[in-house]
Amino acid sequence: MDIDVKSLHPLEIKLLRAVGDSDEITTQSIISLLSYKLGQCNQAFSWLSAKSYIKEVKRTARVYYEITERGREYGVKGVPEIRIIELIQKDGPKTMVEIASLLGLQNKDVGSAFGQLSKEKVLAMDSEKRVNIASGELPARITVLSGLLKRAMETDLLDEDSLSLEEKEVIRNNSKKRGAAGAPFKVIEREEVVYTLTEEGKKVKNFLIAEGVTGEEIGALTPEMLSSGSWKGKSFREYTINTPANRVLLGRRNPYGEYLQWVKDKLTSLGFEEFDGPLVENEFWNGDALFMPQFHSARDIHDVYYIKNPSHAKEIEQPYLDQVAATHENGWKTGSRGWGYRFDRDFTRRQVMRSQGTVLSAKQLHKAKIPGKYFGVARCFRYDQVDATHGADFYQTEGIVLGEDVNLRTLLGLLKMFAEEVAGAQEVKYVPGYFPFTEPSIEVHIKHPVLGWFELGGSGIFRPEVTKAMGIDVPVLAWGLGIDRMALMHLGLNDLRELFTPDIESVRLRRKN
Amino acid sequence: MPKIEVQREDLYRYIGREYTNDALEDILPYAKAELDGVDEESGILKIELNDTNRPDLWSTTGLARQISLYEGLSQKDYEFSTDYGDRVIKVDPSIKDVRPYIVAFAVKGKGISDEGLKDIIQTQEKLCWNYGRKRRSIAMGVYRSDLFSFPVIYKGADPDTTSFIPLGEERKMTLREIISEHPKGQEYGHIVADEKVFPFITDAEGKVLSFPPVINSAEIGAVLEGDSNLFIELTGTDMPSLVLSASIVACDFADSGFEILPVKVEYPYDTPFGREMVTPYYFQEPARVEVSYVNKLLGTDLSAAEMTAALSRMGVSAQEEAGIITIEVPPYRNDFLHPVDIVEDIMMGKGMDRFSPLMPSSFTVGRLTPEEEFARKVKDIMIGLGFQEMMYNYLGSKKDYIERMNVAGNEYIQIANPMTENYEFVRASILPSLLNSESVSANAVYPHNIFEIGKVSFLEPSDNSGTVTRNYLGFLSAGREEGYNSVNAVVSAVFFYLNKEYTLKETADSRFIKGRSAEIYYNGMRAGIFGETNPVVLENWGIQMPSSICEIDLDIIL
Repeated sequence: MDIDVKSLHPLEIKLLRAVGDSDEITTQSIISLLSYKLGQCNQAFSWLSAKSYIKEVKRTARVYYEITERGREYGVKGVPEIRIIELIQKDGPKTMVEIASLLGLQNKDVGSAFGQLSKEKVLAMDSEKRVNIASGELPARITVLSGLLKRAMETDLLDEDSLSLEEKEVIRNNSKKRGAAGAPFKVIEREEVVYTLTEEGKKVKNFLIAEGVTGEEIGALTPEMLSSGSWKGKSFREYTINTPANRVLLGRRNPYGEYLQWVKDKLTSLGFEEFDGPLVENEFWNGDALFMPQFHSARDIHDVYYIKNPSHAKEIEQPYLDQVAATHENGWKTGSRGWGYRFDRDFTRRQVMRSQGTVLSAKQLHKAKIPGKYFGVARCFRYDQVDATHGADFYQTEGIVLGEDVNLRTLLGLLKMFAEEVAGAQEVKYVPGYFPFTEPSIEVHIKHPVLGWFELGGSGIFRPEVTKAMGIDVPVLAWGLGIDRMALMHLGLNDLRELFTPDIESVRLRRKN
Repeated sequence: MPKIEVQREDLYRYIGREYTNDALEDILPYAKAELDGVDEESGILKIELNDTNRPDLWSTTGLARQISLYEGLSQKDYEFSTDYGDRVIKVDPSIKDVRPYIVAFAVKGKGISDEGLKDIIQTQEKLCWNYGRKRRSIAMGVYRSDLFSFPVIYKGADPDTTSFIPLGEERKMTLREIISEHPKGQEYGHIVADEKVFPFITDAEGKVLSFPPVINSAEIGAVLEGDSNLFIELTGTDMPSLVLSASIVACDFADSGFEILPVKVEYPYDTPFGREMVTPYYFQEPARVEVSYVNKLLGTDLSAAEMTAALSRMGVSAQEEAGIITIEVPPYRNDFLHPVDIVEDIMMGKGMDRFSPLMPSSFTVGRLTPEEEFARKVKDIMIGLGFQEMMYNYLGSKKDYIERMNVAGNEYIQIANPMTENYEFVRASILPSLLNSESVSANAVYPHNIFEIGKVSFLEPSDNSGTVTRNYLGFLSAGREEGYNSVNAVVSAVFFYLNKEYTLKETADSRFIKGRSAEIYYNGMRAGIFGETNPVVLENWGIQMPSSICEIDLDIIL
């Protein structure tokens, strides 16, 4: 027989071992057999029924009397009637008020006790309105009540069926169903269920006895047991190892942040130095310095958010302003013919929310080391309808490589390195692309095992109009990676908005692929 | 970036061969284009053109021209005649300060097809919208040239006394009525609305051609399928882009079998190309690049001959002399600003598979910013303290950032052109983001311990931009037992493990319960604030769990 003893609680084990094969099992019988509390009985019954080791055979309505706080007080100090009689027998007649104050009772309680005892001719009022002894004999009802209180002090509950006729009458007079605070007993009506062991239950019982499982095995090991050594020679209750584990609320990284951190670590390991910058930029750095003409449709590529106030920066750093302005107008010393329009020096100060990470690359140029490799993970902002593929703000990962040895082939080499190291791609494809600030421009596409070919990023060699205006004479590779898309794949998501979700539970439960 | 729709059949006919969708996707990047969608039923391809300096590619014929040349399937030579016959436009001095330039030509052919008509309308739209800055610098009109007589007059007309029947209407309207009532007038009228006179084109007898850049006349300006004699004019403010656009449209017509008939324009004032011009007009200057520069930039060892061959594949004829390559720019292009632009055409002409990747060899040291390094330390501590890291948007509403927070919000940066009020302010604090999280997470198992390290930005008059961006730590704890003592313990632990000393000062910040909040001072600077969230704020957010919040400026304690 395959019996899982580990799934049995000590309350169940002890119960099974204690009952006979054809015994009627009730709360009352178990309380008297095993001294269980009522709650423990009910727990054991419900568990055993669920396992079909016991079955219900009938139900009967039963009345119990539960001792109240008042009842316990009577049990300890004695019922008021006895205390009043003893007081007068000892100290002589007293007024009702004196009795109440000497015994610490309420006047009305003294009054009602005296009224009853006076009717029974036990006490009487003398000519000076003092209570005095008449017969002095305790009425039977008081003796019976004292006995009941004494028993109830031990068991909490008295079963009506266990009481004699006289006791029943006395307890009924001293109990209430509701508002029982003033009475020594509270009436509790309960449906009592009678169970017997099932065939299965009997087998388990015999098994437990045969195996010597008593239900007295040690549950939790305590520091006290260890210090006293009381665990020695005892056995430990065996636990069910497949019980569903409890939920642990832990401190944890945001998986998207963790991914970005991984990318940053990857890039630093490839020799890139991180740069960063403010969220508020101006048209100069956001577009002009990148040789995007001020009033050209190329500027529409990025629909930007403007700052209301202050709408313009106070000034633009020199000599970069003059150099960029001249480059736009006539090419300055960059070798370009320029855009051939009049550069607007007010427009260039106009403030915007940074719309592309390339801003940081442009700003890094004049302070960059040569050779140098730089990157940034930049929060950018676009005037776009927010949906699954567009966010009002999002991260871009961008960077530059400066050096005499920089050329198209090293650009392809760099892209291959990103494809392999950052995206884990095996197959890589390069196609011509277009960005206003690079020439030539290259897109790199990689093959994902499930999603097929997709664009990993864009890149190119910065136009001399961009670099020379910043005082840089060596070629500069500029690159950007579509990190958000890879993050979504990584996290098994398909909606950009999920990356910045405020929902705590969804972030707590999010895991990486 | 413009997107066009082309009939697959037409595109392939113009190219001279057919493609599978995959093959088309592979070849399109050589025209800086990508396939955006295919409607197999109608045979319509949606194509996105990425190069904003190549408006010649924004039509079926233009795109086909580039691919056909690349595939070696055709050679293009657009030598337009200069014999203008009687086709003359006389420009009146009155238009000089309004919309000074006009260029034009006529075409003669075998009758325009429905698809041809659609393509020319699409070209017109893309050119004028994307390249012509929504008709401000370029507007184009097409007319039936059989219905009017030369010379054509371009002048400024009085908006209140000049009237004609515009396309889409059946009654005569004054120019002023057109800009206020006609749909096109409402869309484009603002370009000229403030001028004393409006641009106006008539024929020799005063018959109306159009009111550029707004609308054509209903009669002469309505082109129909089967028309074989057309007149095309472009007006605008920037002569080079106007002339380029005229050449592009002329090349498109030439490619679809039309004969191009030039027009002479006579100006009473100077233009960048003189007072008399015969258009289409070739204005491009030759461009040059050194062979050694090409090889340096491409990392190659190509011969001059290989370079000119590659350029020829791009439709660019080139000669080499003494190590310098000189190109003749095709009439439909004007995107050679710098020698690097020639380099890219050489790269594309060779094909990307001809360049092998080479690893950059320079040694450089990788490094994170000090702010990032510090943020990581703080994150480790917060995680050890049992906090979940969150990441939030940086834009939000006045309601969330200011009203619900029970603050005046004077330091908040406002967006001048918000798309919706949900993204109208830049966050100046992480606390609203955290409380927003709490407000949508009442069903997540408690307690809640969340944090974010991120940027905030706020007004700071002393800065050049009048704003400043800073790195902040913000955290929130919510639960039955949450209160000042627990948040105080977290703050204390953070500073202890960062090995930094701080002091506290009482504060009466309206976001917190009075007497249960504190400001953090570090080196005499206010570095943060924490305490029990004011129930007024909790109620504003609909939060029914006690919470405490904290925010620390990491740039100060770094």
